[in-house]
Amino acid sequence: MSGAVPSRAEVLSLFRSLLRTAARFTDYNIREYARRRAIDGFRQRRGLSDPSSVAAAFSDGKSQLEIARRQAVVYSVYAPRVKSVMEVKTV
Amino acid sequence: MAAKLVVARLAGPRLFPLRLLPFSTAAVAADPAPIPHNSSAADDPDPVTVKGVKISGRPLYLDMQATTPVDPRVLDAMLPFYLSRYGNPHSRTHLYGWESEAAVEAARAQVAAAINASPKEVFFTSGATESNNISVKGVMHFYRDKKRHVVTTQTEHKCVLDSCRHLQQEGFEVTYLPVGKDGILDLDRLADSIRPDTGLVSVMAVNNEIGVVQPIEEIGRICLEKGVFFHTDAAQALGKIPIDVDKVNISLMSLSGHKIYGPKGVGALYLRRRPRVRVEPQMNGGGQERGIRSGTVPTPLVVGMGAACELSMREMEYDGRRIAALQERLLNGIRAKLDGVVVNGSVERRYAGNLNLSFAYVEGESLLMGLKEVAVSSGSACTSASLEPSYVLRALGVEEDMAHTSIRFGIGRFTTEAEIDRAVELTVKQVKKLREMSPLYEMVKEGIDIKNIQWAQH
Repeated sequence: MSGAVPSRAEVLSLFRSLLRTAARFTDYNIREYARRRAIDGFRQRRGLSDPSSVAAAFSDGKSQLEIARRQAVVYSVYAPRVKSVMEVKTV
Repeated sequence: MAAKLVVARLAGPRLFPLRLLPFSTAAVAADPAPIPHNSSAADDPDPVTVKGVKISGRPLYLDMQATTPVDPRVLDAMLPFYLSRYGNPHSRTHLYGWESEAAVEAARAQVAAAINASPKEVFFTSGATESNNISVKGVMHFYRDKKRHVVTTQTEHKCVLDSCRHLQQEGFEVTYLPVGKDGILDLDRLADSIRPDTGLVSVMAVNNEIGVVQPIEEIGRICLEKGVFFHTDAAQALGKIPIDVDKVNISLMSLSGHKIYGPKGVGALYLRRRPRVRVEPQMNGGGQERGIRSGTVPTPLVVGMGAACELSMREMEYDGRRIAALQERLLNGIRAKLDGVVVNGSVERRYAGNLNLSFAYVEGESLLMGLKEVAVSSGSACTSASLEPSYVLRALGVEEDMAHTSIRFGIGRFTTEAEIDRAVELTVKQVKKLREMSPLYEMVKEGIDIKNIQWAQH
């Protein structure tokens, strides 16, 4: 589904929402990946100027945001009691 | 008894983690021992105790060749089929069946697109092991009147080798081709070993233990010239290196779901239609999957595999670049602090996410016991029942002592740089500690050649 071309503010708002949702993942690896992938994804598409591809990228980003929101809930419900060794503060 | 589910309002930036009382006792039993009530979490540094080993948290995962975590996007695609759309795809009379069948066919198209095949050539199975069984035994049984010979390599996966041994017991002949020191097949030897009654050549695309990439394009060309079916086990290759069944002239291919960030328990088999490859089914029943594999097709697993395939096509370049950089970081990090580190298998013709290293003058099992905060696999079978070193390393000509100290690091989509740095630090520390205690290493440092020592008999 291709929508209208998003404004700059909308794109930035999508980016911030993706990063905020990424931070909510309870799993260390998924959390880092979601953050990294969002940043790299937006950086890669920075130069897009053609309106239809910009609209397509924006709607793709929005559906990824919905997936991330749902999965952040699922992962937190089933979070294991013990965290990853990478998150445990070593003395 | 119903569990009380507290519905948290999704207000504000932080989501309250919901604690759901588990229904299933299996899930509770599998969770490692939690912190005991009388000690507070703050001062207990080792909350996890499993098999007598105490660690401070879940180990960092570097064993991607054994299995991969399910990608959240794949899980998102699968969940509706466990919750509301739970129909059997073979039910023809109601919505549940129709929507389930539509999902299976959509997933089939996704898998086919990943390998440049037609959806009619893709059949879902329970995993690459089953696909390998159907490929080897099914093909040879179907063509048993004219074809009595199979060619394969010594480094194939156990399921292919075991199926070949089963065929040998039935009276077929099998040639197990050796590989070079770098793990790559000799193409001239392959061409020479193909006879007029050869029914199948089976060579895996990417080896699971050492990560070497076989020259499947050349092998496919040789098989096309000689008119033999070419089967490849692409479980470790799918989504990591580009696979095109037409370009490589593949006749049969085995695919696995849980190696590409998909669910466990599902795989696929590619069977070429032009020229037609016929197989005798290993699972008999109601004729599902065009008679190739009877049994209800597990919709959620198959949907997961399709989603994983599509995702891997989109992310192949991005992941490939990252994983190559991480492998370099790992290898350089270890080599900078340690000598006597050998890479098993070709360094050039290798999939970057698989790094199999041998550390000289170190005993394998003690190394693994010290690396308890890193989840890695060993190349030898000393972690399994027998004490024999792995047959793959033996086929490479790796000597017994080096085979016993091999460690396989598996890097994947979700591996972070911090994890690589921590793994380097822990490995170097453990190897140094063991070498310090080793009298053999002392002798080597003094310049004594241990191969030429005359050990005194007492």
